[in-house]
Amino acid sequence: MSTKTPAAPARQQSQQREPRLPNPGNKKLFRTVEPYIWIAPSIILMAIFIVTPIVKVFQLSMNKVTRAGKLKGFNNFENFTTVIKDPSFALVLKNTILWTIAVVVLSTLLGFILALILNNEFKGRKVARAIVVFPWATTLVIQASAWKFIVNTDYGTLNTLLMKMGIISAPMNWTSTPAAWFTWEIACGIFVTIPFVCFCVLSGLQSIDNSYYEAATVDGAGYFQKLFKITLPLVKSSLTVSTVLNIIYVFNSFPIIWTMTKGDPANHTDTLVTYLYKLAFYNGKQGEASAVSVIGFIILLICASIYMIYTLRKGDEDL
Amino acid sequence: MKKILAALLATAMTLSLAACGGGGTSTPAASTPAGSNPSASTPAASGDKVAISVIAAEYGKQTKDWWSNFQTEFNGSHDNIDLNVEVVSWNDIYTVVNTRISNNAAPDILNIDVFADYQADDLLRPIQECVSDETYAKFYDAFLEQSNIDGTIWAIPDLASARAMYYNKDILDAAGVDTVPTTWAELKAACEKIKAYDANIYPWGVDMTTDEGQACFAYYSWTNGGDFLGADGSWALNSAENVEAVEYIVGLVKDGLTNSDPATQTRYDLQELFAAGKLAMMIGPNQISSYVASSDNPINFGIASIPANEGKSTSSVGVMDRFMVFENDDTDDKIDAIKEFFNFFYEDTRYSDWVIMEDFLPATKTGGEIMAAANPDAASWIEIVGSAKFYPTAQAKWADVKQGVIDVEQQALLGGNVKELLDALQAKIAG
Amino acid sequence: MTQTVKKPVSMKKTILRLLLYFVVLDVCVITLYPYFAMLCTALKSREEIFSAVGTVLPVTALWSNFIDIWSRAPMAKYMLNSIMIAGGSTIIAMLCGIPAAYALSRMKFKGQTAFLGFVIVSQMFAPVVLLIGIYQVMQVLHLTDSIWGLIFINAAFNQAFTIWLLRGTFMGISADMEQAATIDGCNRIQSMMKVLLPVAAPGIVTTLIFIFINAWNEYTVALCLIQTDTLKPLTVGINTFNGYNIIEWQYLFAASIFAIIPVVILFMCIEKNLVSGLASGGVKG
Repeated sequence: MSTKTPAAPARQQSQQREPRLPNPGNKKLFRTVEPYIWIAPSIILMAIFIVTPIVKVFQLSMNKVTRAGKLKGFNNFENFTTVIKDPSFALVLKNTILWTIAVVVLSTLLGFILALILNNEFKGRKVARAIVVFPWATTLVIQASAWKFIVNTDYGTLNTLLMKMGIISAPMNWTSTPAAWFTWEIACGIFVTIPFVCFCVLSGLQSIDNSYYEAATVDGAGYFQKLFKITLPLVKSSLTVSTVLNIIYVFNSFPIIWTMTKGDPANHTDTLVTYLYKLAFYNGKQGEASAVSVIGFIILLICASIYMIYTLRKGDEDL
Repeated sequence: MKKILAALLATAMTLSLAACGGGGTSTPAASTPAGSNPSASTPAASGDKVAISVIAAEYGKQTKDWWSNFQTEFNGSHDNIDLNVEVVSWNDIYTVVNTRISNNAAPDILNIDVFADYQADDLLRPIQECVSDETYAKFYDAFLEQSNIDGTIWAIPDLASARAMYYNKDILDAAGVDTVPTTWAELKAACEKIKAYDANIYPWGVDMTTDEGQACFAYYSWTNGGDFLGADGSWALNSAENVEAVEYIVGLVKDGLTNSDPATQTRYDLQELFAAGKLAMMIGPNQISSYVASSDNPINFGIASIPANEGKSTSSVGVMDRFMVFENDDTDDKIDAIKEFFNFFYEDTRYSDWVIMEDFLPATKTGGEIMAAANPDAASWIEIVGSAKFYPTAQAKWADVKQGVIDVEQQALLGGNVKELLDALQAKIAG
Repeated sequence: MTQTVKKPVSMKKTILRLLLYFVVLDVCVITLYPYFAMLCTALKSREEIFSAVGTVLPVTALWSNFIDIWSRAPMAKYMLNSIMIAGGSTIIAMLCGIPAAYALSRMKFKGQTAFLGFVIVSQMFAPVVLLIGIYQVMQVLHLTDSIWGLIFINAAFNQAFTIWLLRGTFMGISADMEQAATIDGCNRIQSMMKVLLPVAAPGIVTTLIFIFINAWNEYTVALCLIQTDTLKPLTVGINTFNGYNIIEWQYLFAASIFAIIPVVILFMCIEKNLVSGLASGGVKG
């Protein structure tokens, strides 16, 4: 099976690391240390390639940073106060929260429903599943360009199509207000996130033993009873993880908004990430940009901690 | 057994600690390899060869090929130099350059529009040290002055472009606009006529995006006697002329006389609309001529000065990009190699070939003469660029001002009071 | 699930079937619409794209646009780079992630929760924010302008998903079989390879696809790290058509359509395993 291939070298690697166990005295020590050996590769990978850059962000956020990116010493959290005092920051924060909640909630809901549908046996299922993967398989930059192109008032394909079909007679301006733009951006965000949720749920659905359903059918349970009593609890573990990660990814999502509006007009479609990108690379304020990302990090950390404490406590009993 | 395990664990710990340490003591850790090997990208540069790295902006579809040929030719004729040119698109160039500079991996030569930020951090070398006298003598003095901070010239222009008003002759004729508008009032009247003639045509093109909203500010401020800077050289963003200018253009948008969404429609969108005959008039760079002409079914267009307010004089907006040289522990050999690079680039036929290929205007007198002789259209543009005004890019706060005026325009579009917005911006910038 | 309803209600079943097909069809149409628009645009000339009277289908399909892009940019090279980056990242992310997920689901140790938390926290900064730091690490390791640098970065950024999803999958599978295998003389690694992993196939396949696609689509880090044109992945390379004075929509979209193909092919190949994984999961789990 092809899925084994990537894991195969892991065996060789770990075997070198794991010594044979000749006497029981060492065995106890080995038992204590063993788990750390198993997680070591992962820790090393993340420590080098993620933790180090994160340390750098904190460092930048605390320092006075020149436009060209040189550090000029600790500046008493001035980056943070400047950012928070900026009147547009509140608007950007509001947008970010709206964006995250709208995209995550709607895509989770729709992705879940889609997964239930695609889990059925029907002709063309394979094709349908492959099609659903499309939005995910397209780079976000391109995806967003395509959407921007589609909804364009003057040469957009949506207007042309609707006019050819006789639904509208003159080109519509789909993006007449900042709110309209933001709605399209959210729609695009949902569009690209659904496949992710859908396949997370599908993988969960497929490991559910059919005998559960058979037993429930014998007991006379209806479709929705089975959905809530069997499917949901069993899919929950894969769904909660994908939701936490989804929140993080969506919160930090950059290309869709950047490609479509760059946060224009006047920060009305900015989220924290596009805002800080402009600060860092258009205005040359890397210190403030890092401060924004630290603030974003703290918000995410608080939300995720609450969520994780809640689910981990409950989850350990469930699993 | 214990020893093996201990060793393994220790290795893992050291690795992760080293990784963390690398971040904590970032500057020295990063600068050592960067300093000793400033162009890690060109490991081929070994022995006696002097390596020069260049980051160049990607102006058009031929830019990459042109530079790649340039590199081959240059390296072919200079045995002791290893030139490496990296072409980066305008969308990404700030990200790429700032990331490199923050990590002490600045290129030796950079081709970009801004320079004051780098100068403020003492990263640049005075450009006269790096350019031979005969090459230096080729530039228009007015252009060199644009890169003057405290009496030193820090960059040389690679090319320039100027803006003028483009109009669709057929639409103007059909709408009964007999004379091309030269004043703001005439422009508004013409727009209204065009709108009355065909509501599906946008009369006037406006771009207030993050891409180039500052140009919009300049178009109307400068043709109303206003400017970013006051006569004393300090910021004067909230002058009465500037307020009137922004109110005028926002008024045109609100009256429905412009493209539908100036906050997100960039100059490229406008250019497409103009070429397709859906936009009657716009202000744009000289490249629009050849862009429109390259179409299968080109529209019939004319070029005129940017309309000015009553009693005020018109002004073209000049845009200029630059080469600058970074200080990277340079040896004399390297400076000589850099000089050689510029000699090679600004060699008259090669340089005019570059400018013509990119469809820009030359920044050297000799280049200008060659181009004017070859093409009468170019001659008039070269005249326009000669009298054009430029953004105050040598000012340290220019980046803030640029974003600031764009924000003011967009806020005004959403219903903000122009005077209050400009007052607030002025207070923020000057304060 | 509808297919398990075994009551003899043929009418209801038919309606449900029809409804199912109707919904699936709608989903497919909506999903495909942007690609339909991209394909049509990719087949048009520039004049037609912006012409005053818009067209849905191209008047004459310019298939030459699809050929032009191969000569206008080293598309084949870009694609190969993308495959190497995405494939390499997937392998490394799995090599590091599977053992970690295994330890988290089959062993008890101090700092287990802390590690899980750390994994999540590591994802909380957008790569855009981390660019400067990432570049610095790569400089120290001499991996700037190298495909290896991108492979490691993508593998690292996908650890969280890999570990969390696989941990969930492993925990959902009873350890009895593995214990039996251990009694039969298998060591941990053998029992994991022979017993656990085959049963966990659906989760593993999902994870694989996820990492591959994420790495395939990564843009920002590749943009900043890669300087040499022939080392660029597709996402960055495609930007050749997004120029200073003009965006060549027809080429941009034609190239983007090519960029989707490998992912969809990969998915179609692996989808079978998704199903067979289900079968084995059903029997043994």
